[in-house]
Amino acid sequence: MLKKKLIFRNPLRLMGHKAEDILHSGGFGAVLARAGLGKTAILVQLALDSLLRSRNVLHISLDDPVKKVCLWYEEVFRNIADQYNIRQTEQLWETIVSNRLIMTFKVDSFSVPKLEERLTDLIEQNIFLPQAILIDGLPFDKDIRESLTELKKLAENRSMHVWFTVRTHRHDEPGPDDMPASLLHLADLFDIIIQLQPEGKEIHVKALKGGLEACNYPELLLDPSTMLVKG
Amino acid sequence: MEKTSHKVRNLGISAHIDSGKTTLTERILFYTKRIHTIHDVKGKDGVGATMDSMELEKERGITIASAATYCEWQDHEINIIDTPGHVDFTIEVERALKVLDGAILVLCSVGGVQSQSITVDQQMKRYKVPCLAFINKCDRSGANPSRVIEQLKNKLGHNAVAMQIPIGLEADFEGLVDLVSMKAVYFDGINGENIRVEDIPENLLPEAVGKREELIDVASMFSDELMEAALEDNITDELLISAVRRGTIAREITPVFIGSAYKNKGVQLILDAVTNLLPCPSEIENHALDLSNNEAEVILSNDSQKPLVAYAFKIEEGQYGQLTYVRVYQGALAKGDTIFNIRTGKKVKVGRVARMHANQMEDIGKISAGYIGALFGIDCASGDTFASKDVNLTMTSMYIPEPVISFAIIPKDSTAEINMSKALNRFSKEDPTFITYVSEETGDTIISGMGELHLDVYIERMRREYNAEVTTGTPTVSYRETITRLAEFNYTHKKQTGGAGQFGRVAGYMEPVIEEEFVFENKITGGSIPTQFIPACEKAFKKCLEKGPKMEFPVTGIKIVINDGQSHSVDSSEMAFQAAARGAFLEGYAKAKPVIHEPIMKVVVETPTEYQGAVMGSLNQRRGIILASQDEGYICVIEAQIPLAEMFGYSTVLRSLTQGKAQFTMEFYIYKQVPNSIAEELAKKAAEEKKNVA
Repeated sequence: MLKKKLIFRNPLRLMGHKAEDILHSGGFGAVLARAGLGKTAILVQLALDSLLRSRNVLHISLDDPVKKVCLWYEEVFRNIADQYNIRQTEQLWETIVSNRLIMTFKVDSFSVPKLEERLTDLIEQNIFLPQAILIDGLPFDKDIRESLTELKKLAENRSMHVWFTVRTHRHDEPGPDDMPASLLHLADLFDIIIQLQPEGKEIHVKALKGGLEACNYPELLLDPSTMLVKG
Repeated sequence: MEKTSHKVRNLGISAHIDSGKTTLTERILFYTKRIHTIHDVKGKDGVGATMDSMELEKERGITIASAATYCEWQDHEINIIDTPGHVDFTIEVERALKVLDGAILVLCSVGGVQSQSITVDQQMKRYKVPCLAFINKCDRSGANPSRVIEQLKNKLGHNAVAMQIPIGLEADFEGLVDLVSMKAVYFDGINGENIRVEDIPENLLPEAVGKREELIDVASMFSDELMEAALEDNITDELLISAVRRGTIAREITPVFIGSAYKNKGVQLILDAVTNLLPCPSEIENHALDLSNNEAEVILSNDSQKPLVAYAFKIEEGQYGQLTYVRVYQGALAKGDTIFNIRTGKKVKVGRVARMHANQMEDIGKISAGYIGALFGIDCASGDTFASKDVNLTMTSMYIPEPVISFAIIPKDSTAEINMSKALNRFSKEDPTFITYVSEETGDTIISGMGELHLDVYIERMRREYNAEVTTGTPTVSYRETITRLAEFNYTHKKQTGGAGQFGRVAGYMEPVIEEEFVFENKITGGSIPTQFIPACEKAFKKCLEKGPKMEFPVTGIKIVINDGQSHSVDSSEMAFQAAARGAFLEGYAKAKPVIHEPIMKVVVETPTEYQGAVMGSLNQRRGIILASQDEGYICVIEAQIPLAEMFGYSTVLRSLTQGKAQFTMEFYIYKQVPNSIAEELAKKAAEEKKNVA
């Protein structure tokens, strides 16, 4: 009941995407921004949107410990609940949490074969069957094309889609279509690319790639106090 | 006691059983002149349990097991705090670790990093205790300290760095090369008390130079000065020690020392290291919880002039009454002071203040910030916080979770019964989550706590410390009943059996509530139930909650509202309204779709990564929801929510799955509805039990 009442502000829905799962099996999406602008917050909103539709989400963090990732979820969920003036969210929270699995790795020790090994453990023992994977903190400034291609194959085989956060740098010269250097040679692997761009005191949410006409969706902003996307 | 607190070390010695913790402690007390002869630990047979300090205390009459033993070394004051022998996560372990500022992790040079070393290391990590490693038993056949250092790095993920190399090993173990002073150190005299310093033997020089280079490389990460000095080849001992110290306190380096406590080699150097490398109380950030601000964390300042905050971390029943060990975190605690017990709110007058030595005690005037001491004749429980007037801080959360599991315990004979009652009395004082009572129905003594392991530890302690042999009944999970929807009731109690009759009608509704256990609301208007009978109604409802109609489990999360009723000028009485309320409750309850709730535990397993798949599988089989897994290199931490009923015997399963290398902690998380299949099983079981009783 509460679930139906809650229309989460999936930033992509606000951008005009209509389909339930915006990314298809094996599809890649990326949230780009400089450090501290709110990449993880967007990722968590995408996750909550899936969780509310009873989709299993595997959140992989290479930067933060489990405790911090959990705090992100609690914070964003609380802000959304506050925004919609919803009380007694405990039961809803308990239901969605059971659809979420958080895994953290040290950046250096994370690899696609390792993830595949873990996924096999989870799936074969019928512990958790993820439908979406979120990877927060993968270093895109290294040569990771091969890893991403492997991951894409894995995602296709397992019927999952994957969202990434990509950290950009102030000194990076953007390429054509405003695509940052770190993603320039990888953009073909991605179906959707969203960028968070600070302009003055505001943080704009822009689609760099995603198949929708720019004029079709209203200008979106990220509210820095709640870290939620607003129209 | 009046020295500055930067010369104080609050030290724990942690070790795997049989790696020489007792021998090392014994030697430390000898070299610091706290005991005057060295006794060897009881024979090699049945080591393990006999190495336990409690047993040793009984045999030897010394107080190694006293919560804190005080000794002095090189003008420094060292409090050796007893870290409990059992490794399970209980409030007692938490308290012991809380008062430590640093520790020595003792490892056996033959056995290396064993499963229990992993466990104690994880405890240190959890409480962020900086530590030194001491590789003991270098005189034993098969000794290989280099291998242990590698294990420290690979198995425990420590940035372990050798501070010494051995001169000879096994039977030829003669002494050590100190890589800071670049000197060979030998230990002469019957008890190794005479230290002889010489030049490094020629054959060891290249190895020593190489290892010193490694040490400098590691240490220079923590000191730019050292890095510069290394470039200019101008390193002083002080510079090197201060860089290692910085790394150690930040838990970024584990300096490794070697020796043989049994052969009296290397102990004085580890004592030097304790004073040189481990932090003093002011270098550790300690937090208290502010009760006036929703238990928000407050940083304490290690300043004796500030208002007092002290923590009673252990109590002992002695010949002369209760001895309370306290650590003062802020302010000072002096004889004659009036302090407040934050938990009870009671004012306490400080009588005798003492400091414990190995086998004696010394009266002292006051305990300053950062120090540990003991108070006499103060009635408190361990874990209590004492503070000055107007300070509302507590060292531990005041939230005491409800126990979730119970056992019946039966003493074997009358001696055991007497000892058991003494033990229970002490344990329930020590640990607020440990509850004991006598069952009204069966007359059995019941103990309740936070998990199977929690209670097992106390049963084991009863046996070992109190010589109370008890048998235990099957564990019982504390299930609860609750309702899931609003239901109305309207019940009339009417009895006419000659003489004054009984009459009362109670009407209203009941509904589920989330945050409260029981809410009663009186919405009667116009006196349909006279005011004097309302408390009787409430009392009867409350009584009904003790044993739910569905399966006789306590009912929680229910709101009862009465809004109508009827009375009779002659036949209505308290008794009549109690009976009416009982009837009303049963009527409403049946319609309110009652369900059974069970305790769900938050389980955290720390396991070597290679076993993570197997561990996750074992958790999943127990109706668990895996919430997270954190990869920390060699170790993987898995977090799950699992019904308590499924966790019985899990420690054995986990041990066999992981060759004893994993450990788990468990705490109560939430009550959740049991699945229908389980509820049916429970109902069946309850029916059978009823039948048996009948």
